[in-house]
Formats: sequence, C-alpha cells, structure tokens
Amino acid sequence: MTRRQFLATTAAVVSSGHRLRGRWPRVLLDLQGGCLRESLAGYARVCQPRLVRADTSSIPHCAVLLVPAALEISPVAARAIVRCLHAGATVVLESAAGFLDERAFRTERAVLRDYFGITVESPVRLWPRQTPYVDFLWPYAAKLRDFSRVVPLGPQAGEQIGWVDGLPVALQRRSGRGTLIFLGSPVGPALWAGDADATRWLSAVLATVS
Amino acid sequence: MKKSIGDNMIPKDWGFERGLDLVKKAGFDGIELWLGDVPWFQMTTTDAEVRELRRKVESAGLVVSNVSTGLHWASPLSARDPRVRAQAIRIVERQIETARLLGSDAILVVAGLVTNEIPYNEVYQRCVDALRPLGETAARAGVKIGCENCNSEQRFLLSPREFWQFLNDVNSPAVGIHLDVGNIHDTGFAEQWIEIHGPRITRIHLKDALKHRGRCGDQSVYTNLFLGDNNWPAIRAALTKVGYDGWLIAEMEARYRYAPDQQFYDTAQAMDRLISGRL
Repeated sequence: MTRRQFLATTAAVVSSGHRLRGRWPRVLLDLQGGCLRESLAGYARVCQPRLVRADTSSIPHCAVLLVPAALEISPVAARAIVRCLHAGATVVLESAAGFLDERAFRTERAVLRDYFGITVESPVRLWPRQTPYVDFLWPYAAKLRDFSRVVPLGPQAGEQIGWVDGLPVALQRRSGRGTLIFLGSPVGPALWAGDADATRWLSAVLATVS
Repeated sequence: MKKSIGDNMIPKDWGFERGLDLVKKAGFDGIELWLGDVPWFQMTTTDAEVRELRRKVESAGLVVSNVSTGLHWASPLSARDPRVRAQAIRIVERQIETARLLGSDAILVVAGLVTNEIPYNEVYQRCVDALRPLGETAARAGVKIGCENCNSEQRFLLSPREFWQFLNDVNSPAVGIHLDVGNIHDTGFAEQWIEIHGPRITRIHLKDALKHRGRCGDQSVYTNLFLGDNNWPAIRAALTKVGYDGWLIAEMEARYRYAPDQQFYDTAQAMDRLISGRL
C-alpha cells in the first residue's frame, strides 16, 4: 500500500464514525447453490477469524454482511439482506449475474431492482481485452483482477467506486440506516486464489466499518 | 515395457477396425483411446457401444492402454464459468467410467490452462480443488488419473518440482503424472522429470522435439522419435533407474503426408529400439 493509499484508507476509517459496530460480527451469507462457492471460500479465507457464517434463516445482528458472488438471490434472502441494511449494517453485495443465462439473469436483475434499488445492464464478457483489471477508486485507488464477466450499472443514485473499460461496475450508497456496497465484478475468487491486492482492498473496505 | 499408440493417429478415412489391424500389424501391444477426438468414441457413446469398442480391440489382439481426451482444451477444469467446470468434471468422470469398461486402469487429463484471462494462482487452486474429489472417484474405480505435462501449451506446472508440489497438494494416490517426454522441450530435460516423479508416473507419451527450429528460431517443433533433440539414451537410463515398466504411448504430432500407415511401422520400430536400449 502506498502512502497515499494508507492516508485515504485511514481517512475513510475515521470519517465512517461507526465505533460501536466493532462489537458486532461480520457475517458471511451462504446462499448455497445460489453463489459461486469459490467466492464464498475467498471471503471466508480473508475474514477469518472474525467471521460468522450464516444462511438466510439465521443472519445475526451484524456490522458487516458479506454476500459473495450471488447467482440467485431468493426473495427470502433479499428480505433478510434488506433487514440488515435497515438495522445499520454495511452490506457488500457481490453479483455473479454475468455468469447466468438470459432468463436467470432477468430474474436476478428484477431482484436487484426491486429489493435493493440497484439497476444493472446486461452482462458483458470482458475478454479478449488488453489489461485484466477493474479500477476501484474507493477506499483507495486499486487495480484488481477482473473475473471475465461483469454486470454494469445503469444510471442511479450512489457513488460509483469501480470501473472497467469505461463501464461503472461498483457503487456504494446509504440504504436505510446502513450502507450498500454493490460489486458487479466478483472479487471473492481473487481472494480465494490468494491475490494480495484483492485482500488488501477488502481489508481497507472492512476497515471503513469496524 | 509395452507399446501403444493413439487411435487419433488412425487416418481419418480408415475407420476403427481397419485402424486396429494396422496398429496390430505394426507391432503395438495396445491402443490409447481418445474420448471426443474420434468419431467412434464420444461423450455420447453409450456403455454398450464402449463395450463393443473393447471387443473390437481385443479381437484385433490388442488391449486398451489408457483413455485420453483433448476435450479439456475447450472445457478446462480451471474455467471460471461453473457450468464449463461442471462439464470438465463430467468428462473426467466419463473417462474413468469408460476406462473401467475398456479394461484399463489409467486416464489422461489436461488439468488446467493458464491464459491472459485466467491467472496462474486461480488455475492452480481450481485444479487442486477439482482433482481431490476426482481422485477419490478414480480410487474407488481402480483407475489412476495422469495429469499431463503440457508445459508450453498449458503454461502451467512448468517445472518437475512444481508438478511434484501440485501432486502433493492434490494428495491422492490415484492422481499422478502422465509424462509426455516431448512436451518438455525448452523448459527442461525429460530424464530429470522421470527421475523426480518415478512411481507417480501413470503412463508415458513419446514424441521428439526439435528445439528452437521455428522460422525465427523461437519455437520448438514436434517430430518423430530420434529426429529431435531429446536425449534418448538418458531417457532410457532414467526409465531403468526408476523401474518404469509400464506403457509407452506414441503421440506423433507431425503426420506423414503420404503413406500415413508407414508412420505406425516406423514409430513401432523406433520404440522397440528405445525399449531394448539399442541407442
């Protein structure tokens, strides 16, 4: 991490002002067959030991809810995630919808729109391309490995925090009493593969909360 | 040691039975069947049809040395798309099933492909994760999975020590290396791979390589046995040293343009020279 990145991260931590959240756990939501398993394993790898795993029926009160590489978010799961947002949690909602077929994607896009107010465009296959990175601007400027397919964001409220090939693919915004961080390009598989840059970036994101 | 050759070497317009006759007449002991690479052996080939293939092989006086496939080049175990990965796993499972039906105890798998898009660490981890349960499946079936060293084409597991570590990480006695002595060319020496992997070698592919012979001197070129730069006396000595007494399988990349059957006779004779040590 450069000096500039360190200062940016530190500033983000200070400005977040959520000291009380440190007492609450980070929760990793397991969508079972509705997510990419290696992304789930990636978040688990990086966030241990301060991590509680949960399924949609048993999400405890939490400071951070991690939803890895979602392929299919059921209405039950969506309502549980929204409850966490309303209770003040920061939710990292990672979408792997780029890997869905057209019909499944339409369903997933409706869930993202109806429950989270997230508008996504049709999936984009990134390859072949020249550089393999997604450019994140927050919490510090970072280049993270792409994961081949993304769901770009449509025009909407919130701060766009990640771009690839001119397309916005990540945003954060207030939602209820909490904060929603949406990733249209999965980071979890890079965490699972031991990518140091992805690990550093996620740690910086989590540092803004705890 | 016994001699085998791939059924994908059979001239396209010959058909399986005529090809088997050629393989037998040329002096081979067995045949390597390539799932998905020849019209008679596809993913859609039924168990009954596979049994019929075995009957034809045995009627020709041959046995099936192993089941290989080129399908993993298009559907690799290292794919990011879970559907492609599921298909890759299904291919390995079918190889295991058909190996049993064909009376063989070994299959060849191209484990993963490093590309611009899918980086090395991902490929490594994904292949380890895929091969652990597949190793259990293979062990139950009495079959060994040989991961082939396709050094330059895969851009993966480029050194013998790294391949050794990979097999340690998979940690299954049913998963070893299908060593291709022609694939090492610019990245090392086949005899050293044989020494390091010894008992983990499930099968051996034979071909030769002309190093740095491409138009601009920047590429190696596959060729027939003894025409290239492999150190065959050293390879033969290493096989003796590690006690390898299994199948040697000819995999000629360059084909004879005319009289394609002649390549079978020439290759079988060259393999006899190698096995006898008259080098």
